[in-house]
Amino acid sequence: MHITVVRRVKPLPLGNVLIPSLSIITGILLASLILYLLMNIPPSQFFTYVGEGFVSLETLRDFILLTILGTALIISFKGAVWNIGAEGQITMGMLAAAYVALFTNLSSSPILGKITMVVLALILGGAWGLIAGVLKAYLSIDEVASTLIMNYIAYYILNYLVRGPWKGKHTYGYIRTDLIPESVCFSTLPIRGITITYEEILLLIVTLVFAYVLLYKTALGVRIRILGSNPEALKAAGVNVKLLIITLLTISGAISGIVGAIQLAGYLHRISYPIETHTPYLGYTAILVAWLSMLDLRAVPIIAFIIGSLNQAGRLLQIAGVGGIAVTYLFIGTILMTFTILRVFSEYKIKLIKG
Amino acid sequence: MNTIIHSILAVAPAFTAYYLTALGHGFFEKSGVLNLAIDGVFYLSVAIAYASAIYTGNPYIAMFISALTASIFGILLAFIVTKLPISHGAAGLSLMFLGYGLGALIGNPAVFKFREIKMANIGFSINIPRTPLTSVTLFMVSIVACLVLLYILKGTKLGAAVRASGEDPHAASALGIDVLKIRLLAGAIGYALIGIGAAIFELVWLPTWQQMHGMGHGWIAFAISLSSGRHPILTMLTSTAFATLLTYQYLLQAAYNLSPEIAKMTPFIAAIAAMTIFMVTPLRRKLSPPLSLGKIFFKEERTL
Repeated sequence: MHITVVRRVKPLPLGNVLIPSLSIITGILLASLILYLLMNIPPSQFFTYVGEGFVSLETLRDFILLTILGTALIISFKGAVWNIGAEGQITMGMLAAAYVALFTNLSSSPILGKITMVVLALILGGAWGLIAGVLKAYLSIDEVASTLIMNYIAYYILNYLVRGPWKGKHTYGYIRTDLIPESVCFSTLPIRGITITYEEILLLIVTLVFAYVLLYKTALGVRIRILGSNPEALKAAGVNVKLLIITLLTISGAISGIVGAIQLAGYLHRISYPIETHTPYLGYTAILVAWLSMLDLRAVPIIAFIIGSLNQAGRLLQIAGVGGIAVTYLFIGTILMTFTILRVFSEYKIKLIKG
Repeated sequence: MNTIIHSILAVAPAFTAYYLTALGHGFFEKSGVLNLAIDGVFYLSVAIAYASAIYTGNPYIAMFISALTASIFGILLAFIVTKLPISHGAAGLSLMFLGYGLGALIGNPAVFKFREIKMANIGFSINIPRTPLTSVTLFMVSIVACLVLLYILKGTKLGAAVRASGEDPHAASALGIDVLKIRLLAGAIGYALIGIGAAIFELVWLPTWQQMHGMGHGWIAFAISLSSGRHPILTMLTSTAFATLLTYQYLLQAAYNLSPEIAKMTPFIAAIAAMTIFMVTPLRRKLSPPLSLGKIFFKEERTL
């Protein structure tokens, strides 16, 4: 008797719902097992935190930011261009927004100041994506490697500024910038326990509408989807594939850049050194959101909420003295691993053959 | 003369750490598996080397455990991307994140254990002492590893099978090569080298630990390997360049009064620059990557 993998005649019914759900459940179970074995955290405690994550108001912030980032990533993932550098693009966006807020006169006019912050974040985040795009299109350097390497470069550029020329005057010995002027801080919703702002809700809606129109209503959207499935056909049709790859990474980076501006103006209000230990690593978590959504825009908010809750559970574990970012990485790993394997079964099935 | 010899020997730990990692990575990729798990497993191996050196008190056992764990990851990656119609990129990335998570979970508690032991025994250390003899040994190890892999790749049946699996696994399979077995073997050998490289990184070069220690250096090794076309001898040259840069970046920083952030950034910029230079020069055509690198290898079952 042996086991073989055969192609299904039709894709697994409801596979788009079944596979992500199963992956999340299996991934969480695996993560809790590893946490129990390595850190002696009882699964009951872990599951309590996961449950709390789902009902915590704090989760809403991650939900919004992960929805924006997930959208940014599926735009590039749909073209089979793997932008793993949202983390660096967020960092560059934050840098741009901080520059406008701290060192220009624009902060005297709240509306103009905020708009400039977001636009500059968009441009710098986009530029960060563009570099990886050029490297991939013209030199066929794998974008996974280049975008990840550029995350570190972005961290260190911002760290350099915060430690050097941007170091604040009133920081009580901490290495960090001054607070950005209140006039350009986003306005928080008047609900206790929530750190969501009106501006980010607006940006979320704009992003979703933009992505919907881009992917489903424009010729560019069609090209992006064909790039993901059959790039040769695209070349044969005379489409400039190099330019398309660069465009994808630039758009993806630009949207990610906005998140940096939201984080700064929404709740951080200053940048602390070193940035890599003060970021919630949403750029990495968003990869999980994009993949589990099966690259379907409608599923992005749902998955963003689930993953945001898990992120919050990781944060609660950190407050309890274990894990933190380690737990976040762990569940990204276990869920993604399960998903990668399970996804095979939407198109293939395993058969036992006698003899 | 003496100072010259000393400054060359000082590069040995970084050189060996990067060289073995890049060599193992290149060998594995020769078999056609796109290895994006490298940074996660490198980080995990660094953590395991650190923790097991503390718990066992013996850096050599720690190095062995590190190599063994890394090997398991290599075998796992080779297995799933060869046996199932799965994207190499997705599989590699998920193993990378798993490596980050496990590494942090293993490394963090070991810090407390280290302090505890240090309290009782002030002389306790986890590192292999950096004597000139150690440096010479490390250089020898690198050269031997280079020659052995060159011999395997060019002079043995196994090497031919590895290259065939990377160029055209379907044809290789038709000729009677068991692609799965070859890739499992390449994964085991390649990742064992990555594990040893990571252990040298931790136990000889930078014997410390904090949350992000070693993260990103796997990507530098990735760039080292890519920018030398995965060739064992050329990889020596690129590794030398990066190791010299990293060993002396702190001196440069002091000499030119640079910010430490600029110093930390340099190797990553150099990594991108090295890949760019390789790709724009004729080297790219002479040392092109395996034709089927990262392509899904899956035989459709026609009998059913």
